[in-house]
Amino acid sequence: MDPANLVPQPDAISVPYGWFQGLLLLTFVLHLLMMNTMLGSSIIALVTELGGRDGKPRLNKVISLKLPYTIAFTVNFGVAPLLFLQVLYGHFIYCSSVLMAVYWLSVVALLIVAYYCAYLYDFKFDELAGSRTIFIAITTILLLLIGFIFSNNMTFMQRPEAWTRYFSNPRGTLLNLSDKTLYPRYLHFVTASVAVAGLFQAILAQRRLGKGDVGAQRNLDKGMRWFSGATLVQMLIGLWFLMSLPPDKRQLFLGGSGYATALLIIGVCAALAVLVLGLKGLVWPSAAALMAAIVPMTLMRDALRQAYLAPYFSFSDLKVTGHYSPLIAFLIVFVIGVTVIGYMLKLAAAAGKEA
Amino acid sequence: MNYPVWELTVAGGGLIIALIAVVHVYVSHFAVGGGLFLVLLEKKAYRLRSQGLLSYVQQHAKFFLLLTMVFGGLTGVGIWFTIALLNPGATSTLIHTFVFGWAMEWVCFTGEIVALFIYYYTFGKMQPAQHLRIGWLYFLFAWLSLVLINGIIAFMLTPGGWLQNGGFWTGFFNPSMLPAMVFRTAIGLMYTGIFGFLTSSFIREDELRHRMARYCARWLLLSFAVAAAGAWWYFSSLPPEIQTMMVKRSPELVRYMKVFAGASGAMLVAAVLMALRSPQPVQKAIAFGVLALGLVYMGGFEFLREGGRKPYIIYNHTYANAIVKSDRARIDREGILKTARWVRYRNLTPLTELAAGREIFRVECLSCHSIGGPLNDILPRTAKFQTFGMDSMLNGLGKINDYMPPFMGTVAERRALAGFIVAGLHGKQKEAAGPVPARRLQHEVPPFDPATSEYVLLSWNDLGMHCISDSDRYWVLLPPANDLVAQLVRRGPKPQVVTRGVRLTYRVESGFENPAAHVDFWKYAPSVFGKRLEPNVGLSGNGLAGEMHFDEKLNAYEASLIPVVPYPDQGGYNPYPLFTVEARDEKTGRLLAKTRVVAPTATEMGCRNCHGGQWRVDGKAGFTAETAKDILAVHDKNSGTRLLEMAEAGQPQLCQSCHPDPILGAKGKAGILNFPAAIHGWHANFLTDRGTEACFKCHPSSPDGPTQCLRGVHAKNLDCTTCHGTLEDHALTLLKAEQKAGKLSAGRLMRHLRPRRVATLAEIKPRTPWHNEPDCLGCHGDFKRPVAGKADGFNKWTAGAADLYRMRRDKTKSLMCEACHGSPHAVYPAVNKLDRDRDNIQPIQYQGAARTIGRNNCRLCHTKDMEKPGHHPMAVQAAGKGAGVG
Repeated sequence: MDPANLVPQPDAISVPYGWFQGLLLLTFVLHLLMMNTMLGSSIIALVTELGGRDGKPRLNKVISLKLPYTIAFTVNFGVAPLLFLQVLYGHFIYCSSVLMAVYWLSVVALLIVAYYCAYLYDFKFDELAGSRTIFIAITTILLLLIGFIFSNNMTFMQRPEAWTRYFSNPRGTLLNLSDKTLYPRYLHFVTASVAVAGLFQAILAQRRLGKGDVGAQRNLDKGMRWFSGATLVQMLIGLWFLMSLPPDKRQLFLGGSGYATALLIIGVCAALAVLVLGLKGLVWPSAAALMAAIVPMTLMRDALRQAYLAPYFSFSDLKVTGHYSPLIAFLIVFVIGVTVIGYMLKLAAAAGKEA
Repeated sequence: MNYPVWELTVAGGGLIIALIAVVHVYVSHFAVGGGLFLVLLEKKAYRLRSQGLLSYVQQHAKFFLLLTMVFGGLTGVGIWFTIALLNPGATSTLIHTFVFGWAMEWVCFTGEIVALFIYYYTFGKMQPAQHLRIGWLYFLFAWLSLVLINGIIAFMLTPGGWLQNGGFWTGFFNPSMLPAMVFRTAIGLMYTGIFGFLTSSFIREDELRHRMARYCARWLLLSFAVAAAGAWWYFSSLPPEIQTMMVKRSPELVRYMKVFAGASGAMLVAAVLMALRSPQPVQKAIAFGVLALGLVYMGGFEFLREGGRKPYIIYNHTYANAIVKSDRARIDREGILKTARWVRYRNLTPLTELAAGREIFRVECLSCHSIGGPLNDILPRTAKFQTFGMDSMLNGLGKINDYMPPFMGTVAERRALAGFIVAGLHGKQKEAAGPVPARRLQHEVPPFDPATSEYVLLSWNDLGMHCISDSDRYWVLLPPANDLVAQLVRRGPKPQVVTRGVRLTYRVESGFENPAAHVDFWKYAPSVFGKRLEPNVGLSGNGLAGEMHFDEKLNAYEASLIPVVPYPDQGGYNPYPLFTVEARDEKTGRLLAKTRVVAPTATEMGCRNCHGGQWRVDGKAGFTAETAKDILAVHDKNSGTRLLEMAEAGQPQLCQSCHPDPILGAKGKAGILNFPAAIHGWHANFLTDRGTEACFKCHPSSPDGPTQCLRGVHAKNLDCTTCHGTLEDHALTLLKAEQKAGKLSAGRLMRHLRPRRVATLAEIKPRTPWHNEPDCLGCHGDFKRPVAGKADGFNKWTAGAADLYRMRRDKTKSLMCEACHGSPHAVYPAVNKLDRDRDNIQPIQYQGAARTIGRNNCRLCHTKDMEKPGHHPMAVQAAGKGAGVG
């Protein structure tokens, strides 16, 4: 069976695809940062709890307070890229989702449990004392699991040649485990999460330091250690990921495509800068370098996806209806929304309590 | 059909979406109304300077945050995941049409989260006025989310002008958008009262708790009133076909409507109870009760709304199984296996049929039906079927009952699907096909001497076959009631039909004298016919033996409604019992003539082919309770009757007590379709594009069956459809007359029927059953034999009852047509499956050969050869000069 026959006809889009691609990449970067913070914080908190020397780990207390927010905003910032992904790639992601439906749908239940456990970890941090480890452990394991499911789907959707397995198992219990890129790709995200979360803790601590809380230095150092350590490991995993790619895809980043190769070079350079700055303990420069790494990496991810799907689809296949007015309405609502949110955050900050 | 289908079994049939959607919708409506509740109550607390109230508000806010943001937010994402898994095609349409609507909703969602976090975490830390402002902003964002999502959900039910122009705004501001928004806003506020009951029932301070209970009761009752008005407006804004689907056409939806109404009432009562000063444990119990009722209310509404869309998921655009309406013609033409993407078997062969059937099931059925699950389980719904019945059911899907999509694909694919359901899902083996071995019967021919016999006694059954529904305990369609007619001819140069001075009697053959021992007709006659009958005595007072009475209209002797049944005492099934008819001199009692005649009577009515159950007698005929009950259950379901309940209470009914029917002289009820129109019109929708198979699956005419009622000379080259048309044609002739008579339901049955023997409906000649029947002269113009292969009796009806073959007489007005030619369906020379010459006894008795009485044999009555045609124009040729009809 020719896998190309399995790819459904895409629906028409209202405005040229560039709009959706731009929105997808933009919102995905936001989601990625938030997700990294959430997952990494959870991992760091768990490791710290398991380390167990400190009965009242200050870092974990901070994490416990922020974790529910990060989950909420990870989900929220995840909704937008998933929406735009469906607009551009719905005919791929729906298929792969159905093939792994049981796992895909379980994300919702897993997330609810992870979320409530995170709240217990927050609201009952002191009361639970030692047993709170159980809750952060559940949250961490479930978030890791959810991440793995996401990695599966994001790789599965770009491999129609693997979809024919549906005919021997239509029960929605397939995964993309045979894909060699799955594991380094997944670890790439997990490791990045630890790094970003470490940096996030360092930034929070930096701000506390600015307000004269000298005790925050410890958290800053810890955060930066996590950040740099994870980045170092990331170098190896990144290389593994690159090598695991099928030769034709890998070649794109090694000179085959000027665009893809440039992205890789910028990304790697930025990552090296992250490492150096991190090891020096420079918080804000590290954050800037991190952004400089994440943006090309996100573009690389996108270029890779297009390379995978090239035999089946290109954006020029999409029919455009040319209805601009809903886009304009969205942009207006977006600006108003952001303004109001800014106003609310200002009120919150003035109340001496950030959201 | 573009996307793979997740093969769910138990969890199918919408169970997953129902579980996620109903709880999500419950909580998410609360998330809207609850915002208003929080700010108003907080403001009240400031005004009253009530610390107790303020701390309750804060506690309620925590509960609100944990419930709406975590559970509500994530189940919302869950719905999105779920619809994309269960109906990716329709989801894709919604996403692509409304992407910027969703995107705007996402902005509101973000604002909601930010506002709620700030509201909760700054409680007591922010200036009251600012804190209230945050609360208001939360409510605003939440309500705008509702407005946006409501527009898209309402679109699915009433896409309105979008179907033509595909525009975002047309789709969003659709006909039911505004009323649905009012209704949903009101239920959001109503649920606030419900959740308020719950949290306030935990307040320890009695006074505050009671005050809060009253406050919440006011919320609930006031918003309930708005919701009720909104619901009415909402309902009124729906197109009539959706309204009738909700309240009438879909039996399941009628049930949800009742649940919705019941939960509404119960909630009101509970709210009033709550407002009374009950002890805390009682208040807690009621609060949880109301919470559950709210969920039931929501569930009832959501099931109704989703159900109202049936058979679509996007009304008039995408069917519930994700097939886009505009693809239907192509699928029917090319086949679903050729047009669906995610199927492996593109061609049907005996080896792939079952597997392909499973794939078709997946593509067309699985999105709505579970296999063994709690919702829309396919198994009980199809348990009664064998492949033929299942195939017919699929054939009729989406036609009269349009709450399911039609089957889409080729006839062979439909059979493959039916085969999969029957064999693959139910594990049934194919029923043994092939001819039923016929029971061999014998008969004696009474003596006749051409030289000395003074009389010729001719006798016949007027219909050639009379069917009986021996399902008396449940319903009766036709009672045991055979009519025998006889004419006695005094031989001579001027022969005469004897009309006085003689006494004609009839007597059934041995073994058939006691029908009451075999059927329950006599037991239930009081209920069915309103009269008590002596055992073995029929509806007109005739028994299995008795005297025939002269009928002026016929110019013949007749014994009507003889209650003979096809079950001899020695067992088995014999649809051709013989009667002996004798003519005696009235005064002397001398036997003048004697003959034998078949009273054909069959219970081989194949209702079980679709309604399930077995044959009751000898594996060949008769109704079992299972079949009879299913017929009533289906009738009750589709027509809102209570026939099964009545039958089980000992009051079975005659079908014709409602459906008029000339054959029984039944007037029925005004406005209801006559029985033949109703039964043929209904079933024709399930049995399209077939030939005689459609006839003999119900009537005893199958060449392989135990009766084979078409046994006369016409059976040689013709079949049922030659005279009656195919089932669609046949049904349309009847329905068209009913439609002309102003019976609205005829149109519903006709909507999907296409004439086959003629090109258009306009060419169909409407007719009254039993009065306008195929006219013999339609083929036999001037009594000639039609050109071979050109016989076509369809659409050539008798002008009225007087012109029927069974009523007509010859040119001399003395002899009836049937006297010489035999019964309809058994016109001489007939070949009886059970006993070759059983229907030819009289020709053989009087002429020594199975042919028309008098053919080439005028001497039989005239005792001499005749020159001129006496009985009809060609009769003289028949007398020896050429090829007549004889």
